Amino acid sequence: MSLPKRIIKETERLMADPVPGISAVPHEDNLRYFDVTIEGPSQSPYEKGIFQLELFLPDDYPMTPPKIRFLTKIYHPNIDRLGRICLDVLKSNWSPALQIRTILLSIQALLGAPNPDDPLANDVAQDWKKDEKGAIETARQWTQQYAK
Amino acid sequence: MKFGHVFKETLKNEGFPPAWVESAISYSQLKKCINRLTTELAAVGLTPTTLGALLKHVEDYNAATAVEDEPRPFEYILSEQPGPGSDALAHGRAARKPFHPKLLFHVSEATGELLSATLDEDTRKKLQMLAVESGISDRRVFEEPDADRKSLACHETTHVPRPGNGAPRQRPGCRTVEIPLTSDSEFFAKLAAELSGLEALQARERRDMHTQIEALGKQVAKLTDPDHRSNRKILAVWRQIFQAYVESGIFFGTTEQDHTAHDADKATVRFHEFANKIASTGLVDKLKKPENVRALNTFMNINREILQGLRFGEINRMAMMKILKKFDKQTALGVKASFPAKIEYPEFSEHLAKAVCAEVNTQILAHVPQIDDYSCPMCMDLKWRPVKLRCGHTFCIRCLIVMQNEKQHKCPLCREPTVVDANSDNLDLALAEFLKKWFPDEVKAKQKYNERMAGIDEYGEVYDGKCMVM
Repeated sequence: MSLPKRIIKETERLMADPVPGISAVPHEDNLRYFDVTIEGPSQSPYEKGIFQLELFLPDDYPMTPPKIRFLTKIYHPNIDRLGRICLDVLKSNWSPALQIRTILLSIQALLGAPNPDDPLANDVAQDWKKDEKGAIETARQWTQQYAK
Repeated sequence: MKFGHVFKETLKNEGFPPAWVESAISYSQLKKCINRLTTELAAVGLTPTTLGALLKHVEDYNAATAVEDEPRPFEYILSEQPGPGSDALAHGRAARKPFHPKLLFHVSEATGELLSATLDEDTRKKLQMLAVESGISDRRVFEEPDADRKSLACHETTHVPRPGNGAPRQRPGCRTVEIPLTSDSEFFAKLAAELSGLEALQARERRDMHTQIEALGKQVAKLTDPDHRSNRKILAVWRQIFQAYVESGIFFGTTEQDHTAHDADKATVRFHEFANKIASTGLVDKLKKPENVRALNTFMNINREILQGLRFGEINRMAMMKILKKFDKQTALGVKASFPAKIEYPEFSEHLAKAVCAEVNTQILAHVPQIDDYSCPMCMDLKWRPVKLRCGHTFCIRCLIVMQNEKQHKCPLCREPTVVDANSDNLDLALAEFLKKWFPDEVKAKQKYNERMAGIDEYGEVYDGKCMVM
């Protein structure tokens, strides 16, 4: 099936007018598959980290949300060991008016505002609630170690 | 190369209208003013070195004492404007009052010595001499009301050795001596007058441009009027030209990474890119009819004028900064930092460019609707046929049918459950008429696409819109 106009338009705009701190480049052989990098937000434990993600647009996109996963190891209560992300707009709150760029912005915002009350990685969330300072320190160390 | 020369050459070679060149800052005359002032100062024994030392001393003294109501032993005041309670900003707005700069110092009544000064013998003697002389010939003792503290505090923090507004304060046992100077008044009066002249010129330019833009706007509206069948093809061409214009972001960046106003150099580069783009893609040739070509030429000329205005403003602003810098270098009186704050600092043409660009947008570009303003938030194609949901949001019919088939009931924009009950009553007929009129080709293409997709829904992937005999 040929690529819908919407995906072409979104890709063009991502290239011509990228969001600061975020890049998304489609694979040449599969224009629905993107290599994504997100810079950790400043004043968060992920600051200065550069995180790799993969993004895939399913056939019925935008009726269903893109599939996104962290490839870089990250210590975050809403991201599990496999890089899966717990974010409402990626699941129940997806709307076909949302786009790749808006979703990536939401993920960047999630790095700046971890939410241990709605955890995906249970152990991380528990650490986070028990000892927030320690957890933030661990997140910082992981960022230095893995997110280069 | 000296700036004075560069400035002159730029004014001569950039093709500015003669009226502009006449209004430009007269750099060389102001320079002569400074030379006369230097002579005046030298005549009373105040060379730049001496003055520099004095003012430096005052700065150190202020920093050291940090007592707010201590008068400075030596100061240069740009304009003595009364008005307790008014701060620097208020003064700045109070139009352009004539400047009466004063060079003052305070001496002890008894000894005639400069207050709290730890100066070398030589300077001290010079000042004492001055104090004595002026004490005889031009004695001026000030009885001052309380100076407003606000302005004083403001200056204390910036450590500019010059309280701009507050009149010099009297303190017991001390006398304020003014060193009579005339060239500095002349300098500031001239500069202020020229800035007013530049502003007036700018206002005139703006009115001229306004008339031009309005006229062109009407012309473009006529040329692209979709009610005339002969305009059909030309409409698409104008749309593409204006789209290229907007995308070029000539005077202002329109992307996430570049959203500021551009300087004349950058704007010129962008303008040439735009001109090349519409020429190389053959858009210019497609205009054909002479009245269309003329309109495009007018459009390009308006943009050239904005560019020229931007350039003119930039070099005048630079001339002003340079001449103030020279003033400071030759006299060590330190006005470069304080002068722009003292007057209503003209924004020069950046302001003009902004206003004119806004007019170009509303008066000219707005006559030709762009497709991006009428695209469906889901498929990002033209919203054909437009369906307006109960919540007020409009989508193309195709996307809503897909949503209903997938049992997605909420509006993608506001999440109200309005998709579920949309039916043929929700067709936006007025918008449909508008789209048909302004985007005839795009409507046809989308109509075809919608029909093909509906066919695929019904018959599967093999459907290609043609009748097939199996």
